[in-house]
Amino acid sequence: MTGRILERALAYLVLVIIGIIGFAPFVIILILSTKARFQIATEVPPTLVFDLAQIEKNYRDVLFQRGFLGYIWNSIVVTALSVGVSLVLATPAAYAFSRIRFRGRDRAASTILSLRFMPAVAVAIPVMLMMRFINLDDTLPGLVIPYVAFSLPLVVWILIGFFDEIPRELDDAAMVDGCTRFGVLNRIMLPLVRPGLIVAAIFAAIFIWNEFLVGLYVVNSQGLKTIPLGAAGLISAERPIDWNIAATVGVVTIIPIFIFSLFIQRYIVRGITAGAVK
Amino acid sequence: MTAATPTAGHPLHTRRDVLLLAGPTVLYLLVFSVFPLLYSLAISFFDWNPTTSSFDWVGLGNFTGLLTDPVFWQAAVNTAIFTSVSIAIQVVLGTVLALFFNLRLRGAWFVRGVLILPMLLTPVVVGLMWRALLNPDWGMVNWLLGLFGLPQPLWTADPAVALATLVIVDSWQWTPFVMVIVFARLQALPQDVFEASAVDGANRRQTLLRITLPLLAPAIAFAAIFRAIDAFRAFDVVFGLTYGGPGRLTTTLSFYTWENGFSFQQYGYASALAYVMVIVATIAMSLLVRVVSIRREDAA
Repeated sequence: MTGRILERALAYLVLVIIGIIGFAPFVIILILSTKARFQIATEVPPTLVFDLAQIEKNYRDVLFQRGFLGYIWNSIVVTALSVGVSLVLATPAAYAFSRIRFRGRDRAASTILSLRFMPAVAVAIPVMLMMRFINLDDTLPGLVIPYVAFSLPLVVWILIGFFDEIPRELDDAAMVDGCTRFGVLNRIMLPLVRPGLIVAAIFAAIFIWNEFLVGLYVVNSQGLKTIPLGAAGLISAERPIDWNIAATVGVVTIIPIFIFSLFIQRYIVRGITAGAVK
Repeated sequence: MTAATPTAGHPLHTRRDVLLLAGPTVLYLLVFSVFPLLYSLAISFFDWNPTTSSFDWVGLGNFTGLLTDPVFWQAAVNTAIFTSVSIAIQVVLGTVLALFFNLRLRGAWFVRGVLILPMLLTPVVVGLMWRALLNPDWGMVNWLLGLFGLPQPLWTADPAVALATLVIVDSWQWTPFVMVIVFARLQALPQDVFEASAVDGANRRQTLLRITLPLLAPAIAFAAIFRAIDAFRAFDVVFGLTYGGPGRLTTTLSFYTWENGFSFQQYGYASALAYVMVIVATIAMSLLVRVVSIRREDAA
């Protein structure tokens, strides 16, 4: 009995340690973001004495002078558009792959999945050249077009999984009643597959929000940068990194994701495990 | 089954339906995914540098050039080490964490939520964040190690440690991915197997090794291949954390490809490099597709 209690206590201790290892990096970055540049190197460990004026200065610098407010807006626009287009294209396709038997279906489905794993460097140069050809390089649509292509395989694949879970008898019954395929999709499947749409949207959004490599090739203008491109700007600058500013950038970019994650945790688990675990 | 319905199930209807439903997606992917891949392949046969406006057919010259490029070999070795060690760590740690969370401790859901967070973060920012935490002069990690009298490595600057640092940061971000997959599988396992083994007097060690782990194997394999393909093309975290250095010691294939295409403007050479990656990724993917399709048949 005491052995069991001891074991339980030990397990809780481990849980707390895991929690600290997981969480501490964020807290440290948050603290660093409140400091002046000289304090970063002189306060080891950083003290918990906060100077409101300094905090305001750091965050003003990052959000306005360095334009992160604009980068966040660009990221939101690009992500929303790309996810929207992806869902509109992918939903009917996933429905067809899940429901209709046609020649080459399995081959097509696995080819689409395999595109999900293509190294982005392999398409970055052609994508840039194509966007230049249609005069969309260095524009936000020039990002949206390739990002839709990148997220489609993922979205199609997740949605196929969700369509597969809906009983086929529903389709058959509706079609016997004279409904067309499109009627079935529109009126019967869409409401049922909504959790799938949410999961797929979340995963596409995470991917697009963080995409960096192709963005580097397509966008040059300061005013069009997304968050990862803006953050990378801190690194490629010639002078040494201002770490208080870098930490502030960290906080500013992590906070939207943090808030987002509070709402989507259960969908994340579903999305990651869709296809892997049934 | 659809053949039983005379209207929508008719072969002609079916073909038209498939075209209308799946056609736009397939067309989009052909234009913006498959075509760029073929375009890349075509570029790889040219010596193309837009800054010097050279554009010459070199046949397989870029590929044979790779064979004698020491940086390519270094990058290939780095990528192989990075991928295999990262995946080994993440699979073992992720599985252990999943088993740990299966103890159903109170409050564990909160810690799980915290652990999921790194996966959502922008990898460039993750790299930058860890550069701060691992700073040899004022970083919290070395300060903490110092408190315990442990050695304080120059994480990103020491040639002997830099690649390991990349592995550690990648594992911090992605071990939870393995954990989530394995944990979900654990929760879906049929309980009667465990009850039966308890009745038969199996101890916990036997249950773990003979029952739990074999049942988890497909999920673990899936997670491992999935992660391996992603680690293989790692770019962002390298950019944020080490920028390929010191020297070339953390230059991955993706990073070297990007450098050639972006910084050196060697489109042909970069495309040849990219194609070596495509071939390796395709082989890995055929493995993954096999695992996934097996699971799909299970479900059907």
